[in-house]
This record gives sequence, structure tokens and C-alpha cells, in this order.
Amino acid sequence: MKPWVLMALLLGSLLVGGCGSPDAPKQRQLNVYIWTNYLPQDVVTDFEKRTGIDVRVDTYDSNETILAKLQSGVAEYDLVVPSDYMLKVMIPQKLLRELDRARLSDIANLDPRFLDQRFDPGNRHSIPYLWGTTGIGYDTTKVAAPIDSWEALFDPRHAGRILMLDDVREAFGAALKLMGRSINETDPAILRQAAEKLKQQKRLVRTYNSSDFANLLAAGDVDVAQGWNGELAEAVAASDGKLAYVVPKEGGTLWIDSLAVPASAKNVDAAYEFLQYVLEPEIAARIVNGVHYAGANKAALEKIEPAIRNNPAIYPPQEVLDRCEFIEDLGETTQLLDELWSEVKAN
Amino acid sequence: MSWSRRLLAAHTALVYLFLWVPIAVLAVFSFNAGRQTAVWRGATLDWYRRLLANDALLASVRNSLAAAALTTVIATAIGTLAALALRRADVPGKGATLALLFLPMVIPEVVLGAALLTFFGAIGLRLSLVTVVIAHVVFSVSYVALVVRARLSGLDPALEEAARDLGAGPVETFRRVTLPLIFPGIAASALLVFTLSIDDYVVTSFVAGVGATTLPLHVYSMLRVGVTPEVNAVSTLLLAGTIGLIVAAQRLLRGSSSKGDRE
Repeated sequence: MKPWVLMALLLGSLLVGGCGSPDAPKQRQLNVYIWTNYLPQDVVTDFEKRTGIDVRVDTYDSNETILAKLQSGVAEYDLVVPSDYMLKVMIPQKLLRELDRARLSDIANLDPRFLDQRFDPGNRHSIPYLWGTTGIGYDTTKVAAPIDSWEALFDPRHAGRILMLDDVREAFGAALKLMGRSINETDPAILRQAAEKLKQQKRLVRTYNSSDFANLLAAGDVDVAQGWNGELAEAVAASDGKLAYVVPKEGGTLWIDSLAVPASAKNVDAAYEFLQYVLEPEIAARIVNGVHYAGANKAALEKIEPAIRNNPAIYPPQEVLDRCEFIEDLGETTQLLDELWSEVKAN
Repeated sequence: MSWSRRLLAAHTALVYLFLWVPIAVLAVFSFNAGRQTAVWRGATLDWYRRLLANDALLASVRNSLAAAALTTVIATAIGTLAALALRRADVPGKGATLALLFLPMVIPEVVLGAALLTFFGAIGLRLSLVTVVIAHVVFSVSYVALVVRARLSGLDPALEEAARDLGAGPVETFRRVTLPLIFPGIAASALLVFTLSIDDYVVTSFVAGVGATTLPLHVYSMLRVGVTPEVNAVSTLLLAGTIGLIVAAQRLLRGSSSKGDRE
């Protein structure tokens, strides 16, 4: 066989396997842009069956990616799921469509705690979807007593076995909460004190890591890890009681991802149908049962599996939740914070 | 065996271990019964079963293969033609053309991605798998041109002159003399482009649109909730497929060349 024939055959076989999704003619469509494992497949399939709308789901890995796509003006997404602080960036840039509340009657099913937040007053542009916390995952067999405070991350007894999130707001959040301050503190003197605390802590820290913390904890590389609850809850569930997750008694950070319709959306009616669909308690419960993140739908609570509903790593107790705060945009203080964080990391 | 040879053998073994142990670990953990990717909990084929039911992951693999295949064909063709054209001594502005051609190789990917996104926005081209292929071709063409140019520069011009002397036209000379001689360079650059395209994350993350989530984009987006061994499973399958293709290609090439020798 001639070499070029061979090459053509190889490439041809790949192409046949690769191409196969021409646009279906005239079928109604909905393009969803969402975090991975945030929308169970069967929930999407049922929506398609019920409405005849063809749903395409694409995934992204950071809020900044959605921002860049929406700013380009040539991304045709009909639904996106930005986090709290990103809404505050997107709304003033008019990247999101104002929602018509008359078409979203079931919004009353949502927990008022997550509505009308500072990043979107009156929820004119977004609907709370899933939320979670930052806390501490730890190996119960390696620490003296159950952990209940951020103090554990600054405890010399855990020297060399501590993991901190490689995230300026989360690291300062832990230090500030321990000092009895808000994670959104803007007083430079207080922030410098927090930076001092983090510098002293540094010699105890094994690693700063935001992507693999649950694995490092599960593998025994670290025994006390700051982290987001989603991954840590999975690690805890898989550990047969060896690992535990706690939101410290001082309170942690709270994050929430919300559904929003980009201003450039082409299939707005389909987007409204989908929003109304996920607001149904039945569907909202199926989503939580499928993705193991806490949902913002209060009416769905009783339909959520007890193992998830009663898991403090997913749904923390009320009094802890009351001490948690959303990370807010700090405006000009951001620069000072970044400088202080560089000092900590370079120290 | 002398001590220096022993040392060389040990060194070689270490280098291969360094290259292959991570990949072996990845493959082994695709059979791990636990969900975590760091703790062994017994063997299972569950992740392969779940992979086959994971439409989103499979769609991303299809997108990656389609984009890589198209990029390979287009970039290899353009790059080879560019290398051939730039071989001539009388090309006006040859130096500048070469410099511009190799620029995408040195531009940081994130700059290239942002620039392409702005460009697509400016011309109003909606983001899709097409924009992904265009972007991949942009940074791949340089590599093809570089590799094929290297092969061309090692080519003895006397061979082509002899063909022309013996009455072959320009097309026939190219088809029967030049092309077979530079084919290893073309094939090598095609493989390179395929690899560059299939694992590109940075540029793709900027220019992927509706229905165009590729495997690297999907895997990165899984980080937030934890990468499951399904990713190990799909990587292992891709690796096995790639090794299979390369082995098959080498067998066939060897077969065709030895047959050619006999003729």
C-alpha cells in the first residue's frame, strides 16, 4: 500500500467516528453551559421528552471562561451557571438578560436565605441553583480530637500535615474568621494581621493546593485539609468513617452558583421552560440526589434522600450556616489582598 | 559488559521508567474500585461500564477526535505546501514570511486564544467546533512547515534534477520523487499535529462553542467535583488505540517498503 493511501485511511476512519451531529432541522434547541456533573443526564432526558426541546450541554471549568465567552458576543449559550461573585461582574456589563418573574412562578419554592443577595439584588438576573461551603476535611485517626475550629489549620501539632487552598480569599478567610472578623474585611490593619498569621502558619503547611485537595487527604499525604465541601464529601463517603468534614464553628465561606440567561441567548423561551422545570420540587430533588451538592430549593428538601439531607458535609447545621458568609467583591482592597498574599507565598 | 555500558543501560531504564510509570499508574487506577484516584480499593471494570453510559464524556471524546482529525488534514496540507513554496530561492520576502510562519509557535497560548476569540467576535463567526479547528490549524501549521522544511533541506536536489532529465514533468517529479522522499516528514508532522490538537486546552477553552466541549475541556471542568476514574478509563482506551494505530501503521509501512524493494 502507498504510504499516503494509508494516511488517508487512518484519518478517514477517525473522521467517520468523529463527525455525526448535524443540526436537526427546525427542532427547538437549548444550549446549556454548566459545570461538569452539575446536571444529571436523566433530568435532561426527561426535559427533552416532556418538551421536545433538544438540549445540548457543554461544560466549563472556571467562571472566567464563561465571562470570556459571553464578552466575545459569538457564543450562543441560552443558560449559564456563574458563581456569586461572577454575577456581580457580569450584571453591570449587561451580559445577562433581565428575568421576567411572571414566567417563573415557582421561584417561591426557593429558600429565601439565598434570594436577594448583594451580588444580584432582587434576583433580577439569576436564580440560585446549587450551593456549598468551605471547611476542613481531616483524618480522624491522625488527630487528637474531632476538629471544630479553623485553629486546627494553625495548630503546631499538625505541622507538615496541613493543606491550605491555594486561593487568596479562602486562605485569608480562614485567618480572618479565626480572628473573629468577616471574610470580607477591608481594614488594612486587620488584613496585615491576618497576613502575619498566614506567614507564621506557612511553616506548618505541607502544600497550597486548590485542585487535588480531596485526593491528597484520601491518600494520606496530608491529614488536615482546607477545602470545598463537594469533593471532600465524596472523599468522606468513600473512606468508611476514616475521614470527616466540618464547617468550623467560626463559620466558613459560602458559595452559590445561579442559573442565568445570557443577553445573547437565542432560545429564550426554551430557557424559561427549563428554569421553570428545575424549579419544580421533584426535579430539584432529583438534581441534588444526582450531584450530591446542596440545592437552593426548599420545597424539594423532603424529597431529597435522607443520607444527603442529613449529611452535615452537604447541608451543615443551621447555627453553622448562620455564621457562614458569601465572598464579596472587595473593590480596591483586592489589590492590597493580592500583595499580602504574594508576601505570604514568597516568604 | 563494561561498567560504562551498565551505567548507560541503567540510565536508559530510569528514563523509560520516568516516562512510563505515570502512564502505568493512570491505566492501573482505571480498574480501581474506589472513586478516589489515589487509593487502591480492589479491581473492577465499573469505570469502563460507566464510561460507556456517560454521554457527555463520550461526546467530548468524539469532538476531540473530529477536531484533531480535521486539523491534521488541513494543517498538514497547508504546512507542507508552505514548506515547499519557501524552499524556492526566489520567493520575495522569504525571511519575513518564515518569521511570521513560525510566530504562532512562540506566542504564549493564552495570548493566541484571547486574540482568536476577539477575532471571531469581530468578524461575527459563532463559536463551534469549526472555530476550534481553525484555531488548532493556526498553531499547528508552523510545526508542519518546520518539520517538512527540515526534511526538504536534507533532500539531494540532484534526485529531482535527474527525474526531470529523464523526462518526468513537474507534477510527476513531485509525485514520484519529492513526495515519497519527504513523506516521513509529512507523516511525522501529521502525528505531531494530531497530538497537539487532541490535548490542547488553553486555546480551545477560549474558542469552543455550543456542542464543542473537547476531552481536555471536559476533564478540566471535572476538577471542581473531582476527576473520577472514568477519565483514567477513557485515557487508557485512547492510549491503547493510539499505540494500536502506530503499530499498525509501522507494520503496513514496513510491509509496503519491503514490497517496494523487491519490485
